[in-house]
Amino acid sequence: MSNLAENIIPDQEPKIVIRNIGRTFHIKKSPAGPHDFVALQEISLEVQKGEFVALVGPSGCGKSTLLDILAGLAKPNSGAVFIDGKQVTGPALDRGIVLQGYALFPWRTVRQNVEFGLEIKKVAKGERREISTRFIDLVGLKGFEDRFPHELSGGMKQRVAIARALAYDPEVLLMDEPFAAVDAQTRETLQDELLRIWEETRKTIIFVTHSIEEAVFLADRVAVLTANPGTVREIVPIDLPRPRQNSDIRSSPEFGWTRHKIWELLQNQPPADHRAGEQRPVADAISPSAAL
Amino acid sequence: MACAKKGGDAVRPYTRSSDMADTSIKEPFWSPARHLDKLSIVLFFAAWEAAPRLGGIVETFIAPPSLVLKTLVELFRQGEMLGHVTISLSRAVSGFGVAALVAIPLGFLLGGGFRTFERLVAPVLRFLGQVNPFSLFSLFVLLFGIGEFSKGAMIFWVSLWPILFNTINGVKSIDPLLVKSARSMGTGLTTLFFKVILPAASPGIFHGLKLGSGTAFFMLIAAEMIGASRGLGWLVWNAQINFQMPQLFAATVLISVLGLSLNFTFGALEEKLTGWRRKSAGES
Ligand SMILES: Nc1ncnc2c1ncn2[C@@H]1O[C@H](COP(=O)(O)OP(=O)(O)O)[C@@H](O)[C@H]1O
Ligand SMILES: [Mg+2]
Repeated sequence: MSNLAENIIPDQEPKIVIRNIGRTFHIKKSPAGPHDFVALQEISLEVQKGEFVALVGPSGCGKSTLLDILAGLAKPNSGAVFIDGKQVTGPALDRGIVLQGYALFPWRTVRQNVEFGLEIKKVAKGERREISTRFIDLVGLKGFEDRFPHELSGGMKQRVAIARALAYDPEVLLMDEPFAAVDAQTRETLQDELLRIWEETRKTIIFVTHSIEEAVFLADRVAVLTANPGTVREIVPIDLPRPRQNSDIRSSPEFGWTRHKIWELLQNQPPADHRAGEQRPVADAISPSAAL
Repeated sequence: MACAKKGGDAVRPYTRSSDMADTSIKEPFWSPARHLDKLSIVLFFAAWEAAPRLGGIVETFIAPPSLVLKTLVELFRQGEMLGHVTISLSRAVSGFGVAALVAIPLGFLLGGGFRTFERLVAPVLRFLGQVNPFSLFSLFVLLFGIGEFSKGAMIFWVSLWPILFNTINGVKSIDPLLVKSARSMGTGLTTLFFKVILPAASPGIFHGLKLGSGTAFFMLIAAEMIGASRGLGWLVWNAQINFQMPQLFAATVLISVLGLSLNFTFGALEEKLTGWRRKSAGES
């Protein structure tokens, strides 16, 4: 399989257009008194149909805030998001979101969790069952349909969350640090499986992570974000061959070089001169394993 | 594209620790250890039966279980008992039912929609919840007379607070991430309420209902002892002033049994409807 980026027709209209997004929080209670905190400033990004874009950045740089805006769960103070040329005004089933934390409904079984979006979409019961069976199978949870979330391991819960977001067939999948809470080995398994699912379903994916390694392994392009205020510092194309799953691509020199380049981008962040006192080394905010 | 699964994550055999504990530690049926808890009940009844006969305690004060059982059967035979049970239960159910109908929606409003208002009125509510119902009973009698209404009002009052406070807590403790997750799928407000808010708050509500039903029954007997001409509480009171110890004991035992079955029913219902919560909280 060739690199997906080569298959994209350049003059095709982008699937997602993020234009000059700004988001300010009004902080009422703080030692410094009430003030406005700029979480995102002039964020612009275009994502092609079927593309896999990762967002990396230190914790607190506004990744979740940006994803909430893409999901339609929060409104930007300035700028706009367009999907297929239509402005996003609220949440809808054209976008599937996997939130930070599993957010599974504890009173619903695996199957009932996966069927939630289908119920909202008012899909008939028989069809619902058929679809949920297919997606539970896709994420490798066959035989676990009737388990409750508390009867699953962290990795399995994450698979359910992914199946739930995929089941109502959104064209865009937004994922917020989905693998942050699972152990290293499960994490690599899930990364492999996500790439397999992506190739099977051809979704457009925006994947938030604070692990550089994860971003390089998964994405076609990595958007490097910086904090205070959250801005896109650079967009790095990842020219590694696909399929990458079940390969030792992680130990290839190209992989190491790309990873190092992003690490450097995060290291040499321009000092935010207007609040130099607050500035801390960005590398500290990135998980040490990610920088290795 | 097929790919073999690395790592043991999905193929990890499923074991629930509580299941294991149940099967592996359980003693065989004939083992005395299995029946230790029943033994205490048997011993208790044996001592109760024996004490009056051995003359340690005078039979006029303590009726032995055999006599209590006989009296119970007789009271039911005479057809009077069923009437007392029915009237007591219907009082408890109506007072409790109205309290639930008021407290649950109010709890949702205070715990969900009007948080600031809830913070404002919480101290007053806490205070009202602590007001001793017996001191209120005389007020209810003054206001509503000695009839059914004042007893109903008392049951209403005592079951209202545990249901209200636990509903508020249940609604407040809903994980906002679940609401966010549902909203991200475009869930409308009505659907959000019935598919997310209500089930997520149900453990709190059920806890309140269970507590409320217990207090309601307890207080009912007390209220009937103070001012009633029928009902189980009245039966106890009547037996007491006429010094009919077997009747007194029979009514008391019946009340305990009814109270226990009420508790058991709510417990079973709670387990059935919100068992997912108990397990996910890690209790075994
Ligand atoms: N509701 C909010 N009110 C005030 N500040 C917020 C709110 N949500 C996020 N923030 C702030 O905005 C910044 C970005 O948060 P977030 O998007 O969660 O970061 P990330 O996901 O990259 O770790 C953080 O500094 C956070 O404290
Ligand atoms: Mg985040």
